[in-house]
Amino acid sequence: MTTYATRTAETAAPIKKSESKGRLFVKIITTTDHKMIGYMYLVTTFAWFLIGGVLALILRAELARPGLQFVSAEQYNQVFTMHGTIMLLLFATPLFVGFANVIMPLQIGAADVAFPRMNMLSYWLFLFGGLMAFAGFLTPGGAASFGWTAYAPLANSQYSPGVGGDLWVIGLAMGGIGTILGGVNFITTIFTMRAPGMTMFRMSIFSWNVLLTSILVLLAFPPLAAAFLALESDRLFGSHIFDPANGGAMLWQHLFWFFGHPEVYILALPFFGIATEILPVFSRKPIFGYKGLIAATIAISALSVSVWAHHMFASGQVLLPFFSFMTFLIGVPTGVKFFNWIGTIWRGSVSFETPMLWVMGFLITFLFGGLTGIILASPPLDFAVSASYFVVAHFHYVLFGTVVFAMFAGFYFWWPKMTGRMLNERLGKIHFWTLFFGFHMTFLIQHWLGIKGMPRRYADYLATDGFTTMNTISTIGSVLLALSMIPFFINIWITRKSPLVGVDDPWGYGASLEWATSCPPPRHNFTSMPRIRSERPAFDLHYPHIKTEGH
Amino acid sequence: MKTGWMLFTGLAFFYAVVSVIYWFVGGEAVGITAIGLSGGLAAIIGFYLWFTNKRLGNVLPEDNVTAEISDAAGELGFYSPYSWWPLPVAFCMVLAGVGLLIGWWLTLIAAGGLLVSVLGFVLEYEKPSANAH
Repeated sequence: MTTYATRTAETAAPIKKSESKGRLFVKIITTTDHKMIGYMYLVTTFAWFLIGGVLALILRAELARPGLQFVSAEQYNQVFTMHGTIMLLLFATPLFVGFANVIMPLQIGAADVAFPRMNMLSYWLFLFGGLMAFAGFLTPGGAASFGWTAYAPLANSQYSPGVGGDLWVIGLAMGGIGTILGGVNFITTIFTMRAPGMTMFRMSIFSWNVLLTSILVLLAFPPLAAAFLALESDRLFGSHIFDPANGGAMLWQHLFWFFGHPEVYILALPFFGIATEILPVFSRKPIFGYKGLIAATIAISALSVSVWAHHMFASGQVLLPFFSFMTFLIGVPTGVKFFNWIGTIWRGSVSFETPMLWVMGFLITFLFGGLTGIILASPPLDFAVSASYFVVAHFHYVLFGTVVFAMFAGFYFWWPKMTGRMLNERLGKIHFWTLFFGFHMTFLIQHWLGIKGMPRRYADYLATDGFTTMNTISTIGSVLLALSMIPFFINIWITRKSPLVGVDDPWGYGASLEWATSCPPPRHNFTSMPRIRSERPAFDLHYPHIKTEGH
Repeated sequence: MKTGWMLFTGLAFFYAVVSVIYWFVGGEAVGITAIGLSGGLAAIIGFYLWFTNKRLGNVLPEDNVTAEISDAAGELGFYSPYSWWPLPVAFCMVLAGVGLLIGWWLTLIAAGGLLVSVLGFVLEYEKPSANAH
């Protein structure tokens, strides 16, 4: 099974084989092709995104008016727990693995990832682990209901009995192992499988961000897996690791947030990378400050292990000045990134195709989330709004802003690379504007709701609290947000048989190496590879008269 | 590889410094340990990359700024065309986890299945060598 690079001429006539559905199924479940595994990740994570979205709609429907209309308080707890769990650990994190699998080997000029079979093992662990955590809904006691943070002692067997919580802990531990294997795979691939001439400082920003995200996975997920196994030992065998009597409550919070804060950057960095790939293409300019962007990303990865306890300010048992200072400090490289993104657009020949529109949505939304993050990094302000809807609004701006906006940007941008067909631009724009208004209508108002005093994770409030109007507006926004998925599905459906793009680079100004191979790429990615002399090898190939090296 | 080992040793150094600072300003035990161990993890990878780079002599075509694609011509490496093994390995791992909730008998069965499937996974492409010694 040794693979050789073959010439284009020899592969010109592909053998057409009709494939039955059964054969296709076997091919999918036994595949070791990084692109196929990536597509499986993307499809599965999108399904989780929809399930998590339905759970969010249940929450919003319940909160639209005072009183309990749809679910009981206990069911509400289960729904918000599973909404958070699904969105963070079964949607956003594996979505990074999906995009990294499909795009990163193409960008560094590799034939596959370093460990193709381990790649598939990661996928199965993610799928089975996720189904296991979700299966809690089928048990008599219902799913886990202690919040996605599973604070001790609430998450122990005394306060949260029932097999739903156990399924949650073990399922997520399994999924976590899959993520760790994925991180190892990506780091090894980037260090050992780059094409000749593809030095580290010619690698696309997305691939750099995949590398740094994978390093963060290696730092953050083992403590989480360890904490989960210890929690399960408490729940099943009656050990006292997270017993509050011997400081277990704070131990859990420290371990959880030592995972939890780098996790935020695990979710953010790859999607920053997607935005950074798209901006130069539609600005017709090289990235402004390529090395500065990489330095900023390295700084974020380094600092991200030293900010975790800003989630624990309100516990009163952490070093406020240290964590506040570190959190302000990590805002600096994030600001540098914004500076570079704006510098890339600045005086460019900007056009607003759908992917660019999504990146604009990302920039605006994430900037809002970043600014409220600065507010929350200051302990006196954090004490006032901690565990209120202000925090809910903040992290939805940060996470939805990066993950969902950049995910759709990536879908529209790389759709021709993945399927060989373009998505419809008009439907894409309808999709964007419905989602954009739906999102901001849902979450902008939650800042004021939080300042007025509405706490998070409450199933109900009184009419006299004065929260009703703002909650109703937020719920209407969430319905609009949900409806925005319809144009997307129509789009996929009507373009499923549209003409193939037939060229390597349908956007015309693609820079990184994935735009130098066919759409979709062949089994081992390249039939021929251009000479790599800058961070824009595909651009150099298509525009040889514009010299980009040594400028 | 040079960028690789410098990145990881740099991270190791940074984490070590932060861990010490956190200790001195009065941090608690979990954080000091966790940041310190993060430094240790980065140091292990950094050392391995440094060592490998030194052993290879710093001449990899992907680190050469004037490399031609033909510099790496020939065998690209071994890639598994397809494999059944990841599925049973993951299935047995999850089954062992479910067994903790259902009963030890299931965990034991799954552990046996895991052993067999891991062996299958690892030895899938191992062939008995003709000149074994």
